[in-house]
Amino acid sequence: MAKKLMKGCEAIAEAAIQAGCRYFFGYPITPQNDIPEYMSLRLPQVGGCFLQAESEVAAINMVYGAGGAGARVMTSSSSPGISLKQEGISTIAGAEVPCVIVNMMRGGPGLGNIQASQGDYFQAVKGGGHGDYRSIVIAPSSIQETVDMMPHAFDLADEYRIPVIILADGLIGQMMEPVELHMNPNPVMPEKPWAAQGWDPKGTRPRAVINSLYIETEDLDGLMTRLNARYDVIREKEVMVEKYHTEGAEFILCAYGTVARVCKAAVRILEENGIKAGLVRPITLWPFPTKEVREVFEQESVKAGLTVEISNGQMVEDIRLAVNGIKPVEFMGKGGSIIPAAEDIAERIMQMRRA
Amino acid sequence: MKEYWVLLGAFGSGKSELALNMAIAAAKKGPCTLVDLDVINPYFRTSERGDVLTPAGVELIMPPYALEKIEIMSLSARVYAAFTPGEGSVFFDIGGDHVGSVALGQYKPNFMNIPKENLHVLFIVNPMRPTAADLESAYTTLEKIKFVSRLDVTGIVNNANLAGETDHTHLVEGYELCKALSERTGIPVWGTCGMPKVLAEFDAYAKEHGLDERYIGVRQPVTVYMHRSWDKFLTEGL
Repeated sequence: MAKKLMKGCEAIAEAAIQAGCRYFFGYPITPQNDIPEYMSLRLPQVGGCFLQAESEVAAINMVYGAGGAGARVMTSSSSPGISLKQEGISTIAGAEVPCVIVNMMRGGPGLGNIQASQGDYFQAVKGGGHGDYRSIVIAPSSIQETVDMMPHAFDLADEYRIPVIILADGLIGQMMEPVELHMNPNPVMPEKPWAAQGWDPKGTRPRAVINSLYIETEDLDGLMTRLNARYDVIREKEVMVEKYHTEGAEFILCAYGTVARVCKAAVRILEENGIKAGLVRPITLWPFPTKEVREVFEQESVKAGLTVEISNGQMVEDIRLAVNGIKPVEFMGKGGSIIPAAEDIAERIMQMRRA
Repeated sequence: MKEYWVLLGAFGSGKSELALNMAIAAAKKGPCTLVDLDVINPYFRTSERGDVLTPAGVELIMPPYALEKIEIMSLSARVYAAFTPGEGSVFFDIGGDHVGSVALGQYKPNFMNIPKENLHVLFIVNPMRPTAADLESAYTTLEKIKFVSRLDVTGIVNNANLAGETDHTHLVEGYELCKALSERTGIPVWGTCGMPKVLAEFDAYAKEHGLDERYIGVRQPVTVYMHRSWDKFLTEGL
């Protein structure tokens, strides 16, 4: 299909529809309002349902219901609204229900601001809700990549019966760029024999129970064992990472999402100044590319790393765990929605080189 | 007598960009006021471009919430000042779709007092936008906007663009859509917009392929002030 000029939010919504999403439940918050706005226009046109819930809590529980019935369903919000959804996300994880959740991160804590931020890494990657669960977290760094990633996000959710979080930021959501959409009027939907799809009077299939309450210790242990086994498969098979000019590099930048795009510019500035630098960009934040990051840092050429985030330092902890002390990893970033400039990142590497 | 220009259109069709360009051009000829009546977005507003408008001699009337990063949309009483008698031109930049055009409804009595020949209500079309890509959706948007704005549209504007990737083929696509929309509604095409280079390429194509001048209209060159590319975002944020 020919390119369209789209806002990130609109593009994500359309890409979800093309991936077979027919249900969207949400509640407005800047900077992601264009997602529900677009869904409210488009979903009725494709025989789907858009519903603006009375709150984020209601919206995520509608997602739980639709996902439990086997539908491809999505919700979106921005940081404070995602906080409100956490109980529901934990329930969805415990009940093994697939769904896609988009977080267009804004500055926090509390109401923060409406500018781009990366302050919700811990919330998305380390749980957010209570209990011993994981969500797959995908962090695209451009509108086009987000669009390309949406079918995969829904496939992952269905395959592993797990919530998948698209962790983007206000910049990706609000920027308008030419985008190529992959139109797919009849997306193939996987079979979901586990889904609650109505009472079968003939009793030809077992009752589908969608539930996260396991009162007996053995029963809950059964769930946790099952989930853990699934998480191991995900860790093994679903890691996505981009390595940019890392081979033989002296310094390694580590960043995700929009900041990674800035870091690529920094790598080019450094190369123009004769300094070999590279970027390792986790695309999945969970499963985290621990092995891949470590391999990059194990190269003899690598002297040190620098993690750059629009936060006070969150992913840097996972980078350091991966590097495990074999090389020093410094941090650069600020919490107040200040996006570091490529020149400043390059300058910091030059300082590290002089030290 | 002031000339009044109201710019309407689907969300993201390029109303603000055009309003800025037209206001800056008009300010070279006489007094010029730009009224920011966008009640949809707390950002991407013409009000943000005071840095360009003020030096160009454009008086900016903006709502009290603009640039405050709050989301309670109320309109300033100063808007009425735009309707006082005088010389020069007044531009109204309106929020997207029919939901944005609602802001105009309350000024119906003021618009009624303006002689028809001094009131230009333009409907901006960009078929590269997903919600305005074909005749049916453009027509529906136009009808809805007419209904809530309580204004008659006097001209259609071809603003076909794909931001930095625009070439003349997009304007040709826009020409076809505007022609079809004009034939269906009886509303004339006011003009065709684009960056000077793209406009020149389109003109050459129009000449070569004998495009109908009636559906091209005024050539309105556009300088990009509003669109936020990746680079602009990094320095200026939302």
